[in-house]
Amino acid sequence: MKLIILIICTLSCVLFSLFIGTVNLSFLETLKALIGQGSETNKIIIRELRLPRSITGAVIGAGLGASGAALQSYTRNPLAAPGILGFTACAALGAVIALYYGYYNWIPLAALVGTAIGAFLILKISGNRKSASTLILAGVGVSALATAITGLTMNFSPNPWALSEMVYWLMGSLNNSQFTDLMICAPLTVIGIVLLTLIGPDLKALSLGEETAISLGVSLGRLRAILIIGSALCVGSGVAIAGAIGFIGLFIPHIIRLIFGADPIKLVPLSAIAGAGFLVFADIITRFLTGPGTQLYLGILTSLIGVPFFLYLAVKETKL
Amino acid sequence: MIHINNLLSGYGPCDVIRNISTEGKYGELIALVGPNGSGKSTLLKTIAGIITPSSGTIKYAGENLSSLSIRKRAKIISYLAQNREAYPSMPVYEIVELGRAPYRGSLGKISSAGKDIIENALNRTKTDMLKNRKFNNLSGGEQARVLLARALAVDAPILLADEPISALDPAFQISMMQTLQNEAKNGRIVIAALHDLSLASQFSNKIWMLNNGEIVAKGTPKKVLSAENLKNTFQLKLPKGGFKQLQLAN
Repeated sequence: MKLIILIICTLSCVLFSLFIGTVNLSFLETLKALIGQGSETNKIIIRELRLPRSITGAVIGAGLGASGAALQSYTRNPLAAPGILGFTACAALGAVIALYYGYYNWIPLAALVGTAIGAFLILKISGNRKSASTLILAGVGVSALATAITGLTMNFSPNPWALSEMVYWLMGSLNNSQFTDLMICAPLTVIGIVLLTLIGPDLKALSLGEETAISLGVSLGRLRAILIIGSALCVGSGVAIAGAIGFIGLFIPHIIRLIFGADPIKLVPLSAIAGAGFLVFADIITRFLTGPGTQLYLGILTSLIGVPFFLYLAVKETKL
Repeated sequence: MIHINNLLSGYGPCDVIRNISTEGKYGELIALVGPNGSGKSTLLKTIAGIITPSSGTIKYAGENLSSLSIRKRAKIISYLAQNREAYPSMPVYEIVELGRAPYRGSLGKISSAGKDIIENALNRTKTDMLKNRKFNNLSGGEQARVLLARALAVDAPILLADEPISALDPAFQISMMQTLQNEAKNGRIVIAALHDLSLASQFSNKIWMLNNGEIVAKGTPKKVLSAENLKNTFQLKLPKGGFKQLQLAN
């Protein structure tokens, strides 16, 4: 029953988001445009602007939720989030370098290359049979390095416009989502979520500690490699399209754990569903709050909603 | 039967155990005793495949364990870690169910025979009444029994237990030792690292005494726990009248 409610909430958010935008369209007009009827303008608004935006938001949110759940289960640390492995920072660095040189069309590819380099570095540093803390340390190091180089790139920005593009891009937004972007983002994210879901049983065995997990037939090297590749696909493809969007991967698994329990076999796919719904919901709010001449960025809003909620959960858990 | 031959193992470049050659038979509860740092845990972890030995062989039923896949090895050896670690809010049944991990299908499904083994493990450790409770709501003794049930749910012919009775009250210690003894009587090879020499003498069929990474004595408790071995290995005197035995009231 709880699962059905979660799915309905997520689907409702996606559907509702189609009705929200600068141009007011009635329920009937929206539905007609969705199935290819009505005026050309309405069809363009719904099918080429709102629909790709909503689906992109759902896909990115799903990837962030799933990777957060997998990382928290792997590290057995509720503070772990996709950003902890440095993929967000590496993708951001790739995108900022593309912006620096003015290659706007290459931003997604540059972000993906940045993530791939980050994933390769973390795989190399964390080694084959080392502990989860080595992985976190490797992630924190790579993240700090990528952030520093991003800062350096912005510091030497060729002109103020390029710098403002970089800053805005780092705030995260689904504003310019197109189906072509979704064609890049969706397959990679789906592969990532499938990989992270498949390691659910191994992550569950790991809850008994690394030594016990090995004795139960879990190959820690294989598990770590799939975790890194799966997370890199989810996070990298999301950041490549929408910029840096924080906190979803941190607090969505918390909520799901409270409602459905800590079993990673369920936690990863359920966090993906909840993450999808939440990101679309947050995007709806940004559309409500964005007026003429001002724009609220999605990455800022997710953090503004996420941080108080996360602090509430943290205080509640320590009191238990 | 498990045969260990010229085993050399440790962490990184540092070998902790050296020249270990010994064997264990079905039906034996073997107590692994020795001072802190003597290599008890390292030996158990090497047998379990957690640490890769520098040299030497461990054979079970004539097969070299290091040549087996990690999954196959997991079906032969069950390992109960010293740290009582589990996800705090996980229900007891789900923890014990993890013992079937080496046998699960790709979607983590457990067969009906596997479910029977889980129920059996819960009964043998007297944890069946705890199965719906969360791990963090249990006492230390109950947690230890639940994790033992998890190790038994593997249903492996060899059970390794690293200090299974540490930090438990005397009644829980005896209860745990009785369970381990029953497992040995049912035909498993049980090897348990113990600090309590009295309980080792009371429950085990055989003792391997380790000191500075080498087996310095092995055999029956009476033979191994001699005044000379106690003095050389532990700097202890043998109590007058031997080790005292505690028993459960009922």
